[in-house]
Amino acid sequence: MRFGRNMLFDPEKTIIRLFEVSKHYGETDALVDITFDVRRNEFFFISGPSGAGKSTLMKLLYLGEPMSSGYAIVDGMNLTRIKKKQIPLLRRRLGIIFQDYRLIPGKSVFDNVALVLEAAGVASRREIRDRVMEVLEKVGMADRPDVCPPTLSGGEQQRIAVARAMVGRPSIILADEPTASLDPESAETIFDLLVAAHDEGATIVITTHDRYLLSKGCTGIVYLKNGRCIHSDGVDR
Amino acid sequence: MKDAFRRGLADFLNYRYLHGICVATIALSVFVISAFGLFLMNASDMMASWKRGIRVIAYLEQNTDPVVREDIIAEIRSYEGAGEVTYVAGDEAFDWLRSEIGRQSALLEGLSENPLPDSIEVSLSADIGGGDAISELAERIGAISHVTEVEYARQWLERFSGIYNLFRLTSMVLIGLICAAVMLIVANTIRLILYSRIEEIRITRIIGADDTFIKYPLFMEGAMLGLAGGAAGLLLLYGAYAATVPQLESAGLLVYFQVRFLPWRTALIILSSSMIIGWLGCYLSIRRFLRF
Repeated sequence: MRFGRNMLFDPEKTIIRLFEVSKHYGETDALVDITFDVRRNEFFFISGPSGAGKSTLMKLLYLGEPMSSGYAIVDGMNLTRIKKKQIPLLRRRLGIIFQDYRLIPGKSVFDNVALVLEAAGVASRREIRDRVMEVLEKVGMADRPDVCPPTLSGGEQQRIAVARAMVGRPSIILADEPTASLDPESAETIFDLLVAAHDEGATIVITTHDRYLLSKGCTGIVYLKNGRCIHSDGVDR
Repeated sequence: MKDAFRRGLADFLNYRYLHGICVATIALSVFVISAFGLFLMNASDMMASWKRGIRVIAYLEQNTDPVVREDIIAEIRSYEGAGEVTYVAGDEAFDWLRSEIGRQSALLEGLSENPLPDSIEVSLSADIGGGDAISELAERIGAISHVTEVEYARQWLERFSGIYNLFRLTSMVLIGLICAAVMLIVANTIRLILYSRIEEIRITRIIGADDTFIKYPLFMEGAMLGLAGGAAGLLLLYGAYAATVPQLESAGLLVYFQVRFLPWRTALIILSSSMIIGWLGCYLSIRRFLRF
């Protein structure tokens, strides 16, 4: 399935559009001509073997890295023309979950999650406290807001990472191999939390090559291999 | 700004080990500079008190008319650098000499006439410069008519001025070098702290923080590190002062002058400077961390 850059773009329906996006590191092609759409409130997988370019693609979506060429729109923001000072605004519309959790070890669970709201300019301490505790309740960590991440298990840390991704009520949650470091039970919990976020209206984009996770079902998927999109499919496409 | 201060303070208290090292570094640097400043200040006080002891004595012709003498005194008073100007009559000087030598005053009884001329003693004003200014004043007094001779401790003064000027110059160069070294040490210590927190800064950016949100608390932390280090350094210096000076005084080693601690204004300047150094160290280090 191919999409043209100028193909009818309805921002009400399409939340992510990539058109012939490439990323090169010197002579190495990390991604070549990646093209696909993600619709609002999809549960979308990006799959492929290790080294296929899944994490690189994720980085391009939150502008952790700039694209080498191509055209991309994420939640109405054109990544090709975005100004540096608009990048934080893009990231506030996203919730990002990493395989290695990326929590700040010196800050408490509460502070790690609250940082998202503080960075977004939420000034009311009460609102911050209420929203953080609400989301910690959802991920089952409301009883330990004061502990620091290194004292928690991997599954618990990833639950905090999910809470951090959800607390800003983002329109898109990007999860880069969110269950790869976890035992099956913890992986199940994390997946259920992502499903719950999807049920609340968020668009979920997950990179994974875990067949058990893929077997849970989705509304759309792209397969990458050697930086190229070898197949894309989805419900109603 | 209030939020940045709150987060800066929270992080300042949170990273105790790293910040403790930085505060200790700044404290030691402030201690070294302040100790040098304290020494310089007291040495200057001591030299100033020596300078105040210098007098220029102008001897007058015999039988100088009192009206002329008053004119000379008035003229000397108008000279820059002249402090108290006192006329000492020859007879008065002779009486003083007799009383000073006490039992040996019999030596003076054989004199048929008073050998001491009338004179004008000129003390120096507090704001007079070094030896050159004193020599200039002496030359001007010597040029006044009816003044036969001018005496002052020229040789001692020249030696004193040489030592004093060398001391001042060396102090300025050393303070400059120490300040530059302190700036480098503090900037590098803060850079090490930022290196250790680079992942935290990276994560904070990824979750949507802009540069201002990241920078301001770090600037606050830098200023707090400087302030804490400055205060610790001054306390350390005060401790050393309080522990040593009374003992030196009781041992009779500080008879001729009093050692004083840094005035509160100087202490405030040191605290403000260390705060600015902390902030500046942070400012210089942070730019490279916000490039990713």
